Amino acid sequence: MRYQDTFLIENRLGLHARAASVLAQLAISFDAKVILQQGDKKAEADSVLALMLLEGAQGKQVKVTCSGPDAKLALKTIGELIADKFHEQE
Amino acid sequence: MINSFLSKDCTKAAVLFHSKKRILEYISQIAQQKLPDLSEQEILDSLLKREKLGSTGIGKGIAIPHGRLSNIDETVAILVVNAEPIAFDAIDDRPVDIFIALLVPDAQCQTHLKTLSAIADKLKDKQFCKKLRHAQSDQCLYDIMTL
Repeated sequence: MRYQDTFLIENRLGLHARAASVLAQLAISFDAKVILQQGDKKAEADSVLALMLLEGAQGKQVKVTCSGPDAKLALKTIGELIADKFHEQE
Repeated sequence: MINSFLSKDCTKAAVLFHSKKRILEYISQIAQQKLPDLSEQEILDSLLKREKLGSTGIGKGIAIPHGRLSNIDETVAILVVNAEPIAFDAIDDRPVDIFIALLVPDAQCQTHLKTLSAIADKLKDKQFCKKLRHAQSDQCLYDIMTL
């Protein structure tokens, strides 16, 4: 199954190295393929380098697409991480 | 783009350190020459503070140690390639030999994302990383990274 949703990047620093690492580690923990898209750029979420290429800044919308056995849970959990500002304070 | 924040004197090929602490100390020592208003200890503290939040080892033998400093105006990068990979608690548990350290102005957000993107654009290529690992001189390493 394939699940997809769009989330707003709310943390001040955006998809910087730490946020990208936290997201990649989370994505790897699921039996699912996770793709992030921002504008015309796409990245596989298990690669920190690919995520950094997105230049996902605060206020940008990012589309998350998950496929595979854990797709539904992966989308929910990743959405919560982004909404929780990647566990950052600001 | 890369040469706007990386200079030749901050590029060191084929060094040999055996621990995370030693390589971060070495990076701080090089960075201090570019940031004379700061002490090596202040720079090292900013790098260690960030490592405590989680390793900057992003996988594939690469780490991006970085620190945010309130009293600098521009990003300073330090590229160090260690002759042997060392344990760095990276997210894929692989040891690290390519270190591209960044000292970033505290208030900088958008420009920092562009810096990371420029670095990622280079390092995403396995063959490119292989060239970095095989560079035998600082000049050669700098040329590969900035061309």
